[in-house]
Amino acid sequence: MSERKKTTLPPSSSSKGQNPLILSFQIVFSKLVYIVFAASIAIAFSIISTIFDQLLFFYPILVFYLPSDAVVGFILANIIAVLLGIVVSMNVYVFRHSKIKIRNTSLLSASSLSVLSSICVSCSSLGFFLISVLGTVGVTVSAFVSNYQTPLRLLSIALLIWAYYSVSNKLTKSCVKSYPNSSK
Amino acid sequence: MASLLVFVYGIYASYFHTDTYGQNSNEKIKALPLQDLIRNGSPFQGKVSAPITVIDFSDFQCYLCNRFVKNTEPLVNQSYIQTGKVALVFNHLPNRGFDSMGAALAAQCTNDQGKFWQFHNLLYSNQKAIDSGWVSKENLKNFASRIPGLDIKRFDGCFDSEKYKSFVQKNIELALSFGFKETPSFIVENSNGSSQETMSGALPFESFKAVIDKKISAGCYHN
Repeated sequence: MSERKKTTLPPSSSSKGQNPLILSFQIVFSKLVYIVFAASIAIAFSIISTIFDQLLFFYPILVFYLPSDAVVGFILANIIAVLLGIVVSMNVYVFRHSKIKIRNTSLLSASSLSVLSSICVSCSSLGFFLISVLGTVGVTVSAFVSNYQTPLRLLSIALLIWAYYSVSNKLTKSCVKSYPNSSK
Repeated sequence: MASLLVFVYGIYASYFHTDTYGQNSNEKIKALPLQDLIRNGSPFQGKVSAPITVIDFSDFQCYLCNRFVKNTEPLVNQSYIQTGKVALVFNHLPNRGFDSMGAALAAQCTNDQGKFWQFHNLLYSNQKAIDSGWVSKENLKNFASRIPGLDIKRFDGCFDSEKYKSFVQKNIELALSFGFKETPSFIVENSNGSSQETMSGALPFESFKAVIDKKISAGCYHN
């Protein structure tokens, strides 16, 4: 039999009966620092998306405009930004209050997907660049990411929701880590 | 956070760069007078006597170019082209997909018969996903057949022989010489080719207004 060591996060899931998804949110965002952190990430990501979606320009004048064809992308990008802020903050909370190593691959894939889809809105520039670096495959990839920008963003949202569910479980359920029997 | 913003601005600057040429004597200027552009066969709208020229480098498969055509160009047209202040010249920068070159060649063939802007508007209003076949050779011929008054035999001859391949290639080389990597990209200049300013991206009307009004108020153009 292997020995078992139990590690529980600080404000544990003692409040039974409450939805773990809401409870985990309350645990983390009862502290101002995490609210500020999440807001900073959301705002930064939102600005990045807006720039790469070509909705915000700094030159020749500072101007933001939202044409009708960009409304859906803008809304999805902002949903991603908010979810990203929440999930990253919750992961930081788990990381700081637990000895368990975070392996939240869904967070990584969701954020990289959403950044990629944002950048590739304006990736016409990648045409020549990708031909020179990756050959014709590069253009195909660039065209794919441009064509499927909205589905990719929806996929990002789904992955971030999964990441939120996953980190909520870490926060609200007792974490049990198994160690191999040293006497073996 | 600050370093992140600096990083983002760095990427932004490398993508959406803007430059002013011809104001510093040390800079190399590739003069592009309106008369020369027209003589070489670039499609244009507006008066030949317009003091300011906007050169648009676009791709028919690029949806940001379509955004410019739908949202910005009508306002530029109404405020500056119709009033004789600006001439808009179209240059090809087919870099979005494999079918982009064909679309550029077909469009240039319609220019032979003075139908470029009808074809231009027709393609942008029917734009679909990149390389989905919407600008295949067959579809381009179908689009051309929908333009009233276009001699289809003459168009087919021009298109099938790739008459304007070297012309489009020169447009691409010109774009690259200005450092344009993305579409749409623009040169705003006095119509004699001086005082060039480059802009990249599907900029809103306000951005063009700022640059054009500055040039008009400076009154530094000489035709």
